[in-house]
Amino acid sequence: MSAKPKVAFFEFTSCEGCQLTVVDSLQDHPELLDTVEIVQFREAMSEKGEDYAIAFIEGSCSRPSDEPKLQAIRQQAAIVVALGACAHLGGVNAIRNRMPLQEVREYVYGDRAEWFETYEPRPIKDVIKVDAVIPGCPIDRREFIKAVTHLLQGRMPFIPDQPLCMECKLKENICVYTRGKVCLGPITLAGCDAICPTYGDGCEGCRGLIANPNIEAMRQVMHEHGLTDEAIDAKLSMFLTNQIMALEEAG
Amino acid sequence: MSFKIMPKAALPDWVTWLKNRYRVVGPTARQGQYVFAEIASPDELVLDYPTSVLPPKKYLLPQRETLFTFDAQSMQMKANIEWEPTVILGVHTCDMHAIRLLDKVHATGYTDQHYQAHRQHTTLVSIECLSPCMEQSFCKSMGTLTVPEDYDLHLTDLGDSYGVDVGSEKGEALLQGFTAIWDPTSEDYQRINKVMAEKWPRFSYRLNFDVTELPDLLALSNNSSLWNELGDICLGCGQCTKVCPTCYCFDVRDEVDLSLTKGQRTRTWDSCQIDRFATVAGGHNFRSTRALRNRHRFMRKGKYHLEAYGLIGCVGCGRCAAACLVHITPVDTFNELYRRHKKGEILEEAKQA
Repeated sequence: MSAKPKVAFFEFTSCEGCQLTVVDSLQDHPELLDTVEIVQFREAMSEKGEDYAIAFIEGSCSRPSDEPKLQAIRQQAAIVVALGACAHLGGVNAIRNRMPLQEVREYVYGDRAEWFETYEPRPIKDVIKVDAVIPGCPIDRREFIKAVTHLLQGRMPFIPDQPLCMECKLKENICVYTRGKVCLGPITLAGCDAICPTYGDGCEGCRGLIANPNIEAMRQVMHEHGLTDEAIDAKLSMFLTNQIMALEEAG
Repeated sequence: MSFKIMPKAALPDWVTWLKNRYRVVGPTARQGQYVFAEIASPDELVLDYPTSVLPPKKYLLPQRETLFTFDAQSMQMKANIEWEPTVILGVHTCDMHAIRLLDKVHATGYTDQHYQAHRQHTTLVSIECLSPCMEQSFCKSMGTLTVPEDYDLHLTDLGDSYGVDVGSEKGEALLQGFTAIWDPTSEDYQRINKVMAEKWPRFSYRLNFDVTELPDLLALSNNSSLWNELGDICLGCGQCTKVCPTCYCFDVRDEVDLSLTKGQRTRTWDSCQIDRFATVAGGHNFRSTRALRNRHRFMRKGKYHLEAYGLIGCVGCGRCAAACLVHITPVDTFNELYRRHKKGEILEEAKQA
């Protein structure tokens, strides 16, 4: 048996909830600690090693000074995994990307706007090459364990490419639309076992868009269910601002 | 085989009696809809139900099923063929037709041992549909408003009692030793004839043409502009295929545990409506648009299955129509193709193509 792979965790602009989910996953899978050697993990340990092969990065890149740090991680790690919606999509942080940056800075920091360095939050793949993504806000702990298993096997983590409706229907959940609410399930990637609709809420799109989503039809459905254009825009910007903007740019 | 009468008052006792011998599943109410689920107590059973969210096929082809387990080091594997003697109560006639098709599919060529195991240990108790179960159903058009002869028992609601058709020995076994049933009197026969005669006018035809014309209509419709129109509005969410009683496509994945010593191969229901379903090695997707995927689905339901198995692939249950958030329905699709075909538009298009 070869030496255990060395793993490090990093965070950028995020709430660190995904890293807490990693810690949480040890409840079901304490053997995780037997299979990898964690050398950096601020949420869980104070030691810091710089020798790692796999880097899990949580958070979006939201300021120019994040970039060299990301480059350094990329140089060291053989495999870089984006952990959670912020690293994957830019996260909730990206809501502001449709607004003028200076206005946002002044709204948040008032007359001290110039004190703080910031720019448009972006997924880390826009800054460095990313080998794999574990989506979600937060990530799904079962999916994290599965992803680690795949990495140990020398494979890239498999993330389902189906829409959430597929998983939701397998469970025979009542459709959120039938209950008079709206849901982004038809255009959002599955893999969370449809957790929000299962507990009665509509999907907010935290795992990102499916390939080739029909945004126009999705807007039409939400419209039919009573949402104004403004409310629809708000729905689509919780997690999907960057992806929708990219689609708009591509035409 | 034989025909019996069971008073409705005896139903709870019968279900309890069955529960001592089988896993008993049937339609139950959940959040204002109906799902087939294990009956914990007879009063959970709702035999007079609008259609269920998922069809009863989930007991023959489970949503997720482990096909085999393996040792990841020695690569030795062990088939995981499981069954539980199960009685499915209250299967609508459309779903019986769907099971008939699934039976044929899974017994053709390389037979599916997992399906076979579930099927052989399942006893089907169907129920006569006396009025349309929901707005979207169109069973009368599809010829599925009568029960196919695959039932083990078939119930007909006669008011205060059920007429019980015994269709097989498996069905007969469900009544053996159960004493609260009797042979029908001539009055019972009159009642059942009356009930059966009265039911047909309650159902309306929904297709504007005879279903036997459907395969030819679809053959002519290969280049119809309707497919692009459906592709423009379809969300590609796959709900239509999840709720369909005749869909059986699945995806297969291997997973090992963290220590990389043990693993399992699992199959899950898949869908031809998903963007990457038809992607093959090298990345080519031979149904790369929602238009092509919609066409494929309707061709499969109305034409391909008939050609391959002699049975039509759509049983008119209406579940896909009810589930579709953008209102794509088989009835509207087939009728619209018929309307355009009548106008000669399809022939024109075919000439141009």
